[in-house]
Amino acid sequence: MTTQNIIEISGVEKRFGTFVAVRDLNLELKEGEFFSLLGPSGCGKTTALRMIAGFQDHDEGTIRIGGQDMAHIPANKRPANMVFQSYAIFPHLNVGDNVAFGLRKLKLTKAGINDRVAEALEMVELGGLQSRKATELSGGQRQRVALARALVMRPKVLLLDEPLSALDKNLREAMQFEMRRLQQKLGITFVMVTHDQYEAMTMSDRIGVMFKGQLKQVDKPEVLYARPCSREVAAFIGGMNFLDAAVTGEADGKLQAQVQGFGPLTIDVNSNVAQRGPQLLAGIRPEQLEISAQKPEGYDGYLQGTVTNAAFYGENVHYHVTADGLQQPIAVSVPNYFHTVDHKQGDPVWLGVQNASVIDLGTREA
Amino acid sequence: MSRPFRFPWLLAYAISYLIFLYLPVLLLPLFSFNDGTIVAFPMKGFTLKWYALLGAQDTLLQAMVNSLIVGAVTAVVATSLGLFAARAYVRYRFKGRDISEGLVMLPLVIPGIIVASSMLVLFISLGLKPSLTTVILGHVFVALPFAVSIMKSAFDDFDQSLEEAAFDLGESVIGTFRRVTLPIVAPGIVASLLVTFTVSFDEFVLAFFLSGNQPTLPVYIWSQIRFPAKLPNTLALGSLLLLASVLLLLTAEYFRRRSSKSA
Repeated sequence: MTTQNIIEISGVEKRFGTFVAVRDLNLELKEGEFFSLLGPSGCGKTTALRMIAGFQDHDEGTIRIGGQDMAHIPANKRPANMVFQSYAIFPHLNVGDNVAFGLRKLKLTKAGINDRVAEALEMVELGGLQSRKATELSGGQRQRVALARALVMRPKVLLLDEPLSALDKNLREAMQFEMRRLQQKLGITFVMVTHDQYEAMTMSDRIGVMFKGQLKQVDKPEVLYARPCSREVAAFIGGMNFLDAAVTGEADGKLQAQVQGFGPLTIDVNSNVAQRGPQLLAGIRPEQLEISAQKPEGYDGYLQGTVTNAAFYGENVHYHVTADGLQQPIAVSVPNYFHTVDHKQGDPVWLGVQNASVIDLGTREA
Repeated sequence: MSRPFRFPWLLAYAISYLIFLYLPVLLLPLFSFNDGTIVAFPMKGFTLKWYALLGAQDTLLQAMVNSLIVGAVTAVVATSLGLFAARAYVRYRFKGRDISEGLVMLPLVIPGIIVASSMLVLFISLGLKPSLTTVILGHVFVALPFAVSIMKSAFDDFDQSLEEAAFDLGESVIGTFRRVTLPIVAPGIVASLLVTFTVSFDEFVLAFFLSGNQPTLPVYIWSQIRFPAKLPNTLALGSLLLLASVLLLLTAEYFRRRSSKSA
């Protein structure tokens, strides 16, 4: 399969006065890719999106869409369309006129416009709602109209600024699947900005994680989750227990390390981390730990501790376990099989971990 | 939320305050129906002849036309200026924004007589003779603060991404203004037109100084008050103006509320 780069961003920087909003951004997005920019609020992800859209000029570097340099090309001339966080549905127009808004500028016949509007509304499952007033739409419908209005322009790239954050939880989850399905059907590149890690993971082919104006890691969701490049990325995506470790040897891409609480373990070298020294930071995901009243069989490392907290979350049960020599309790998450909370506060328990579950997070900062 | 008045004297104060405020205004229409030329109780009888007489006076009709021209032009000019100024004040952070906004609002508190006499001196030294044009210039000055504050409240609730969305969909800057901005703030524009028209229509001091031999309606009324025989006639005219002003402002308020709800 020959997939070309549709967006090429190199060395892009954006400053507001002395504040650097985006620093040395380098990114290549492929045709037909669903890409998410993930990060906390104020990390520069929205600024990055708005630079691609053309609402903000960049101070350094180049942005190319479809091979064409976007410098000095305003938003209304770019082959990219945007879905806004507020959806920006024109309140004085009905659904059909909202969707037809951009088509009016193209040289199309009235019938041609009507056909494309009908097709776009069909696509977002709002077929036949052309004459509905904008003010009579529900939140989910507004989102679909915003999608249809952008997609009807047949852009090379669709930009989405926190497209689901205004919806309630159930609707949000349904729309995640629907938008993914739509994107795969149309084969258009989607670039989405979100602060919601689950949204990013469920929808994207690749995710870029941003902190303080810098893109820290770009990877597939599974890789991002299994081999985060740093403590901050690991902490932002999913839960993570951080443990001090001392490296005692290295061979064949494996580290021998003394991990706090669990003793000697063999850890796969994580190629994503920037540097590694004798003082290592190790990470273990809460759901990768076994918890049991008796010592469980077949694990590579064990820890004996006491339950300080037990919470029932529905689909799983969360425990906090402390032991001597740990600064922080260890979080454990186990699937809910029998609707019971097996360990209570104060119970002595064993934790078990496999070598493969321990993540190398590079040099530990003092 | 309503609750019984805990302090009866507060109620008494509020009522006497309202009487003081509105009784003189209410006497005006009352005596315009009085069948006699002396404004004093007891009233002589009910008549509509003062109203009937209004239509026959050419100078009055001319003053009315003058006022309508001045009011309409003032409303359009002040509202256009207010529209652009308000959009800038609400949307952009720029150097001198607060100062410029303060200066635009200042005519609300500058004594009218000072403005009027300075404008007269200025216009004459520029070679502009007192006329309807000079009155319009003066009225735009006093009406602008009203236009700006009404348009500001229209833009306050205006989601900026609406304009960005239009631009993103390929529309030009001017097209975006025409197809999105204008229709959405239209109720605010109507409210501003009505209010600034009313401000101009009722204004006396500036018009008195700047109108020369083309009096507006308030200036005409003032000139008639000196003749006791014509007083009831003037009262009838005044009552009509009062009614028109109240109706205009109520309509304006309706549009202003609609503009802040729609966006």
